Amino acid sequence: MSNNTTPPPLPPSGPGSPRDVPPLPGSSTIDPATLPKPIRDELEAPDPVAIDTAADALKDGLNHCPKCGATDIKQRPGTDVLICLYCRNEWHGARVEEEFGLGENIDQLEGTIIASGAQAIAADVSALMTFKCSGCGAEVTVNTENAMTARCHWCRHVLGVNEQIANGAVPDAVLPFHIKKDDAVARIRQFVGKRQFFALKAFKEQFTPDNVVGVYLPYMIVDGNVSADVAGFAEIKTREYTRGNDDNKKTYYDADVYQVARHVDFTVDDLPLESSAERGNLNTGVNTNNIINTILPFDTKNAVKWNASYLSGFTSEKRDLNVEQLRPHLEDQLLSIARAQVEESVDQYDRGVRWEQERLKVHGTRWVAMYLPVWLYSYHQPGANGGMLHYIAVNGRTGETMGSVPVQQWKLLAAAITVGTFLEGIALWMMGHSS
Amino acid sequence: MSDGGLELLLLGPAGATGLYWYLYRYYRNTDKSHAFERETRVDAKPVTGADNDDKVDEVKGTRETRIDGDNVREYRHRVTRIRDG
Repeated sequence: MSNNTTPPPLPPSGPGSPRDVPPLPGSSTIDPATLPKPIRDELEAPDPVAIDTAADALKDGLNHCPKCGATDIKQRPGTDVLICLYCRNEWHGARVEEEFGLGENIDQLEGTIIASGAQAIAADVSALMTFKCSGCGAEVTVNTENAMTARCHWCRHVLGVNEQIANGAVPDAVLPFHIKKDDAVARIRQFVGKRQFFALKAFKEQFTPDNVVGVYLPYMIVDGNVSADVAGFAEIKTREYTRGNDDNKKTYYDADVYQVARHVDFTVDDLPLESSAERGNLNTGVNTNNIINTILPFDTKNAVKWNASYLSGFTSEKRDLNVEQLRPHLEDQLLSIARAQVEESVDQYDRGVRWEQERLKVHGTRWVAMYLPVWLYSYHQPGANGGMLHYIAVNGRTGETMGSVPVQQWKLLAAAITVGTFLEGIALWMMGHSS
Repeated sequence: MSDGGLELLLLGPAGATGLYWYLYRYYRNTDKSHAFERETRVDAKPVTGADNDDKVDEVKGTRETRIDGDNVREYRHRVTRIRDG
């Protein structure tokens, strides 16, 4: 039994795509000081701050209120605490990190260890689940595609999906929201505030950050124990000299070529991978899922054992990819990490390295399915092929904010051409004076 | 016309294209993604293999400042994968 969801393709490559290694925060290819004032002001406005979430020690949890047995349980906003709305009792969920021993002995991992919530999805299990309400006997249906709790409309009991059935809806763990809605709205407002000048007019007119929704998105959190080898050629400059006369000077280089190979053993702890085929497709030509990808990582060490009560009041997306379908993505990222790890060891090759071959040996992996909290604001830009859905996403734990703001093309083109014409004028003036 | 003159004439179009892409990416962030290479907790043992680096050739009089096909910082650019077995 397996599900038929096709795994997402690797994102397209090329400049300006998510295959670029993201620039360091604060780094820029153009010095903003050289740009006109309105553009400079936008670029230099402060970014929303991402906070550091410290680990809180958490204790045991239950589905019913452990004190009075009521089911009207919600997460207290901004905390990992569950609160009973009937008797006001508050309690913590158990951290999976200690409960399952995650993060321990990664260097001794062997084979593929899959937590129960990350098991293969059975194709014949429906997303719709019907419960018999134990309060009154009525039947209540929960659509696990987008919700994990429902209220019985007869007796008002809250029912949550807690049993791990093979439809991928119930993960091993959940990381509750810490950033409150007001905070998320403020961050989105600040993010868009510094991207106004060239923003699409309709986007600015319809901008209502209060419509942001809290969504629990499905991820696989992977620990890995791997070895990697890379081989290629590298060059060291031995001489630099110029040839030609005054007007036509050219610089030449001599270099030694070396054959190089490197080996590195490493472990990765809590690498997050999108386990929804739609979210994992980072093709920036047709979607803006790379925005949600950018706000990773989360402080997954603080995740608590699954309890549907945390999802009360939020929507969720169901996992539809299995471990085996995600393996190529994991190996691609592990190879990238290996290449980053060996960079320092080839520092002496000042003319760079051309890696030609790479090999990855995965000794062991551990997979845990987790719901991670994201505040999402979306804007649909009409256009060919159904247009483009632009997201602005706020990490529900750290507050890291990223977004795609649609641009007013003619305005951006006009600004670029104006600056280009100005530069060309300077160039012509310089040529006129030099001859 | 000399190379210097042509390069000067290209200043306008190059500046316009550069500014366009720079601002487009600032608004649309198409080049952003999870920087897992530096944001994941990686525990690596010391890198080995440097002792076996071998000089195999010399290059004389090239005008290129970097090795042809330099990909030392393009971690996500996949090269030929050697598979065991």
